[in-house]
Amino acid sequence: MSNLSDRSTLPAEPLPPCQVACPAHTDVRGYIHAIARGDFEEAYRIAREPNPLPYICGKVCAHPCETECRRGDVDEPVAICALKRFATEQHDLSKGHAPGLTVAEPKEEKVAIVGSGPGGLTAAHDLARMGYKVTVFEAYPKVGGMMQYGIPLYRLPRETIDLETAPLKDLGVEFVTNQRVTDVDALLADGYKAVFLAVGSHVGRKLRIPNADLPDVWLNTEFLRRVALGEKIDLRGRHVLVLGGGNVAIDVARTALRLGAAEVSMTCLESCTTQPAHPWEIKEAVEEGVQMFHDRTFKEIVAENGKVKGVRCVKVNFRGFLPTGAPDMDEFPETEHVLPADLVIFAIGQGPDLSFLPQDGSIAQTPRRTIQVNPVTLATTKPGVFAGGDAVTGVGFIIDAIAAGHRAARSIDAYLRGLDPASVQPPEPQKLNDLQQKTISHIRHLKREEMPMLDVNQRKFTFDEVYLGYTEAQAIRAAHRCLTCGAGARVEETKCIACLTCVRVCPYEVPLLARGTANVPVDQCQACGICATECPAKAISMKLYSDEDMIKQIRDAVRKAKYNGEPAIVGFACRYCAYAGEDANVVKASLPANVQTIDVLCTGKVDALYLLKAFEFGADGVFVAGCLEGECHNDKGNVHAAKRVAYVKGLLDELALGNARLEMFHMSPDQCANMAEVVSTLITKVKELGPSPVRRS
Amino acid sequence: MIKAQQKPIAEIKALIAPYHRILILGCGTCVTISFAGGEKEVGLLASSLRIASAMEGQDKIFAEATVQRQCEWEFIDAVAEQIQQADAVLSLACGIGVQALAERYPDKVVLPGVNTTFLGMAVEHGVLVERCRACGDCILGLTGGVCPIARCAKNLLNGPCGGSQNGKCEVNPELDCAWQLIYDRLARLGQLDRLAALMPYKDWSKDYDGGPRKIVREDLRL
Amino acid sequence: MKVGSNLEKVLTSGYFAATGELGPPKSADPGVIRHKASLLKGYVDAVNITDNQTAIVRMSSISVGIMLLQLGLEPTIQMTCRDRNRLAIQSDLLGAAAHGVKNLLCLTGDHQRFGNHPTARGVYDLDSIQLIQMVKTMRDEKKFACGEEMDVEPRFFIGAAENPFADPFDYRPYRLAKKIAAGADFIQTQLIYNVPKFKEFMKRVCDLGLHEKCYILAGVGPIKSVGMARYMQTSVPGMDVPEEIVARLKGVPKDQVRKEGIKQCADIISEIREIPGVAGVHVMAIEWEEAVPEILELAGLLPRPKV
Ligand SMILES: Cc1cc2nc3c(=O)[nH]c(=O)nc-3n(C[C@H](O)[C@H](O)[C@H](O)COP(=O)(O)OP(=O)(O)OC[C@H]3O[C@@H](n4cnc5c(N)ncnc54)[C@H](O)[C@@H]3O)c2cc1C
Ligand code: SF4
Ligand code: SF4
Ligand code: SF4
Repeated sequence: MSNLSDRSTLPAEPLPPCQVACPAHTDVRGYIHAIARGDFEEAYRIAREPNPLPYICGKVCAHPCETECRRGDVDEPVAICALKRFATEQHDLSKGHAPGLTVAEPKEEKVAIVGSGPGGLTAAHDLARMGYKVTVFEAYPKVGGMMQYGIPLYRLPRETIDLETAPLKDLGVEFVTNQRVTDVDALLADGYKAVFLAVGSHVGRKLRIPNADLPDVWLNTEFLRRVALGEKIDLRGRHVLVLGGGNVAIDVARTALRLGAAEVSMTCLESCTTQPAHPWEIKEAVEEGVQMFHDRTFKEIVAENGKVKGVRCVKVNFRGFLPTGAPDMDEFPETEHVLPADLVIFAIGQGPDLSFLPQDGSIAQTPRRTIQVNPVTLATTKPGVFAGGDAVTGVGFIIDAIAAGHRAARSIDAYLRGLDPASVQPPEPQKLNDLQQKTISHIRHLKREEMPMLDVNQRKFTFDEVYLGYTEAQAIRAAHRCLTCGAGARVEETKCIACLTCVRVCPYEVPLLARGTANVPVDQCQACGICATECPAKAISMKLYSDEDMIKQIRDAVRKAKYNGEPAIVGFACRYCAYAGEDANVVKASLPANVQTIDVLCTGKVDALYLLKAFEFGADGVFVAGCLEGECHNDKGNVHAAKRVAYVKGLLDELALGNARLEMFHMSPDQCANMAEVVSTLITKVKELGPSPVRRS
Repeated sequence: MIKAQQKPIAEIKALIAPYHRILILGCGTCVTISFAGGEKEVGLLASSLRIASAMEGQDKIFAEATVQRQCEWEFIDAVAEQIQQADAVLSLACGIGVQALAERYPDKVVLPGVNTTFLGMAVEHGVLVERCRACGDCILGLTGGVCPIARCAKNLLNGPCGGSQNGKCEVNPELDCAWQLIYDRLARLGQLDRLAALMPYKDWSKDYDGGPRKIVREDLRL
Repeated sequence: MKVGSNLEKVLTSGYFAATGELGPPKSADPGVIRHKASLLKGYVDAVNITDNQTAIVRMSSISVGIMLLQLGLEPTIQMTCRDRNRLAIQSDLLGAAAHGVKNLLCLTGDHQRFGNHPTARGVYDLDSIQLIQMVKTMRDEKKFACGEEMDVEPRFFIGAAENPFADPFDYRPYRLAKKIAAGADFIQTQLIYNVPKFKEFMKRVCDLGLHEKCYILAGVGPIKSVGMARYMQTSVPGMDVPEEIVARLKGVPKDQVRKEGIKQCADIISEIREIPGVAGVHVMAIEWEEAVPEILELAGLLPRPKV
């Protein structure tokens, strides 16, 4: 009892910055580590858990996690988003869309959700799993919100949306499409016990400048929606100028290119360094031929006889927006000029269409003309009505809307059960501190894997998907770059005897001695596991694996390796290097059935005990496969492993079992592909020695 | 601290040969720090002995436990039950722990699994060196803080023998000559004149030559 | 005159002393002693008898000393701290003195690890300086180490060894001073081949005035073969064999090496004789005792004075 209460007072573990930055708090580290180990199904499971739309997010998530990724302080951030995509691509859908997630007993209450964007879909998903009867109303013919009617196809093929939304129907969610909700009170009157408004931000805005109303002056959202709805817009020979510099503006420009526009340019207030679109989006647009004109304000659409001729601009030094919403800038005199164009598309932001809200003001709005909510519970000013997503925040990201959907679902459930919705929202997680310079200096630099893309000349004329996704070898290399932040060594203080071993062996100089015991600062540990294997008091455990797991794996491996009377060989292969970016499964498949490998992330994690255990369980031969000296991911993990192998060889001699049964292979990349060949040298030696005399009774 | 080294497996095998249920009992203090008898070593030895037992077609049972300090009865009693169940206890503690066990459990066979080697320290990870002989009459104050009893192969008290060469001891060229160290230290401290004084015969009765030693603090006795 | 041994008399009379050395056999055969004694008799002022040299068990130094007395040679018995504690040493010395042994060389002793009983416990109850002090106290104060008095004291001409080439080199002269302060009457040094370095050592010794407080006999010895020279050069702790010593032996035909070794030894003696403060030589030709007369002859040290 006392133990339990003690534990509840412990501060929550700080989470890796990627997980904190992710609005849905996805266990990024967890799925990346699973990919690194080669357990792709587990990766999918972890990625799917907090996110009903992992396929979509894997392709187009704005990934704020990567901006925060601590690998970025070493070299470049981990390719978190691309790895999620890889996990979804590996997932076997026959295993179910949401493996491991349960559905509660059906409940009586009906819930209405207005809008089928990511916010609405997530709330529907969660509430349906809780057993509620959920109806989603959608104004357009297809579900998906901005994902369906905003994001261009070359970034998000619509099959991905279909694939992701179909399972919601299986959960019993009812979709009423082509149905714009105009009366919220009517829904409540209709027996819906709660309503979630996730109507997005779909109304594009124009500046009030002369000639903005001409027919050849378009709006971002409308344009994209028309394209998405399948309208054939022919822009061949047109000169398109997009006003605005954000991600939406880029989508508009690149879409215009694909519709045949002869020239596409963009202009915005910001400079090339402050332009709000993601740098990679800008880069890809420029590659495709979009021209950028920065530092400009727009004065007038220049027209002749109702035909657009261009936009009159003035050069400015834009510093940001004032609280009033007005730009803070100075115009440079005598810089007026006309950027030529015959079609102008405004892409300077959009707001929600709130015309459907009750006229009595019972659902209040903010001065920014978004729906006003309690930020913790997402409750609007009308009881039973909640709102979230872009309709509340203005245009955000899919993952923000997903997080809002979860939040709303928790609140609605609480509300329907008569609880305070505020009481069911989890506290904001605590974030790991930054890496210290000292730690960074010991971390090996690893190049970020380039995302394979369609060739620029090929892609700019079609709506084919630009990103192609990682190969398995790439994904594994990309996953190996993750520092598994915060998932490292834990010292059990009651067992630590302050022998200083960890302090002395840590390649990253992380452990310290504090108050008489060792302490591994969770925000610096790189989870190499060397200290845990070396600690003579067994006071250190690792978050992502344990001796018990390993010993179980060893037992299984020995059992499997006993095959056809051939010597049973168990190998510990470093995932970082032993397969050297080869497809591990191919390498493993090339090994005979009597050779079973156990994957480890760095041979530094291979305890001398594991080697002995393999023999204790009856293995005839054991090997450890790591990289060449000097190449170790963790500086000297392979050196430690080699020393342990030498030590256990000594024990094997003392036991008269023969040291030749155990081998350490330091493999160069070309040897890795031929692991079978390398291992055959061990098999030959083991055959000479004969079967292990260790026979279990 | 006390430094120890595990005995060769063959010797341990011979020691445990007559027994069936064996408790391998580690100690969580000095022998853990000297990588000879902590929880990790208990695990390695247990696995090795299971291999040995299986190789010989025996079915010995090995239990594993580690107590905080085997040289205190209160700590040993934490595993009293496991001790009772064993035919023999293979202790990986220093000689003190082994005897504490034997005294506490007079009917139990207690076997040593390590050789208690010396009093010393780690000069680098994995390198343990002797520093004190517990001679009972410390002279470090006269020798610049370097002990010629523990660190000179001949425990000379009046300077190096003729075998000191290049700072190394004639007995083992890997060892520093204690007297070279003393000389260097005293030179640094400007106390070389100390070396001129004749050091009197050592009173070995304060060492083990006086028989088993005992310290009694009357003020602390209950 | 403290003791009146032949060696003491030679030295106090101002002659350049020459002592020899005899290694007892690893057996109980007295014939070996008689033979070796016959080779040395009349050519040296006293004969050192080693005490389980290099920690190899041999016939006891004191008993061989008694035999030499019977054969008409003067022994210098050697006593190490390795094998005996203060009780054993004192009792043995009482016995040796009772038999008429008058010279004693006090040593720490080679470590047992090098000998044929490497697992034996080394005693080292005393160190060589404490041994010197103990013997002097017995002789001059008629007291045992514990302070108890005795009626008839053992009277020894007390010697000590010194290795001028061991480290720390700067400390060596002071250590010698300490031995003299403890009671050493004479010193026999380690084998000297590096004469310039020995000269440097002796200069420091003279600067301290030590040569006036005790007699310093330089250790010398012939080298039988190039192999032996190399071995001493590389493998014997505390030995300094310069390259030219080896080169000189290499420079002659194989069958001439022994002869050249003898000549070389005589030449070294002549050089050493010139060094101020040196009172004599101690010729160590273990298992080659027949070379001693020839060396001393060549060095012009024969015949020995009758004192
Ligand atoms: C062009 C563009 C590209 C984008 N690209 C990305 C990207 O790459 N990555 C990213 O993370 N985010 C991107 N976003 C932002 C992202 O799409 C939105 O933040 C997200 O879709 C908001 O989700 P939501 O559920 O709040 O609303 P929406 O997705 O906007 O969904 C709202 C839905 O409600 C429906 N609706 C509105 N009113 C009613 C009503 N009265 N009755 C019934 N239905 C109604 C709408 O038709 C719509 O389907 C992009 C946005 C745009 C405009
Ligand atoms: S290195 Fe890995 S765990 Fe750390 S922030 Fe980046 S993705 Fe997250
Ligand atoms: S290695 Fe283990 S016992 Fe030693 S200080 Fe570190 S945690 Fe403590
Ligand atoms: S040795 Fe590895 S696991 Fe242990 S503290 Fe250092 S980085 Fe972390």
